[in-house]
Amino acid sequence: MAVTVRIPTPLRKLTNDQAEVDAVGATIENIIENLESNYAGIKERICDEAGNIRRFVNIYLNDEDIRFLDGTTTTVSDGDEVSIIPAIAGGASV
Amino acid sequence: MLELRRETTSQIYAHAMKEFPNECCGAILTDGTKDCVRRCNNIQNERHAEDPATYPRDARTAYLMDPNDLIKIHREVDTKGTQIKAFYHSHPNEDAYFSDKDKTDATEPWGLPNYPDTVYVVISLYDRQINVARAYSWDDNAEDFVEVPINSVA
Repeated sequence: MAVTVRIPTPLRKLTNDQAEVDAVGATIENIIENLESNYAGIKERICDEAGNIRRFVNIYLNDEDIRFLDGTTTTVSDGDEVSIIPAIAGGASV
Repeated sequence: MLELRRETTSQIYAHAMKEFPNECCGAILTDGTKDCVRRCNNIQNERHAEDPATYPRDARTAYLMDPNDLIKIHREVDTKGTQIKAFYHSHPNEDAYFSDKDKTDATEPWGLPNYPDTVYVVISLYDRQINVARAYSWDDNAEDFVEVPINSVA
């Protein structure tokens, strides 16, 4: 399956400043592996040592957060859009 | 500098007052001439209830923008050609500083500003009375967030 992946600003130095790249794979996990083979270092930015998506990283398949689908085993279809978008968070001093 | 119409400021203040004593969060989008406020859900309480070890704070002292709202904002930017002018959140019963947590979370998980060209607005309110709002943005030279003046226009 061929998909388009949206890359957030802080990771674009790994993708030669491209905001969108193409990737292939049957699942989100495969897509991340495929990205890694083309843009070395991107997988460890997205996933922790155990292979889970990092806490401050949201991954969407089209408009759905993959946490509410099947996580990294979510299957993708030709022409889908995968978006990697860092969380927006913060809070007062305590 | 961040230019904000009084109407926009009123809208984000109203959101902060509505959510008190919890922090509110949202975004200000612009098409270059007109701004619009997009209120977002703060899901910190849900995450805190599910996993208090990872999320020790509740929504009174933290915010986590609902990922479903965040993707909608990005979609709006894609389809309508608008830009994210600012993200905003409130500090109930606290001043409008940019806290260590605000800084850390704005650069998580890669140690780089996630939105280097976007302003962060912090609204201070005490007991539903607005105190002040201040704005901050990433400064490449300082390698830190610095305060930027808010210019209020009619």
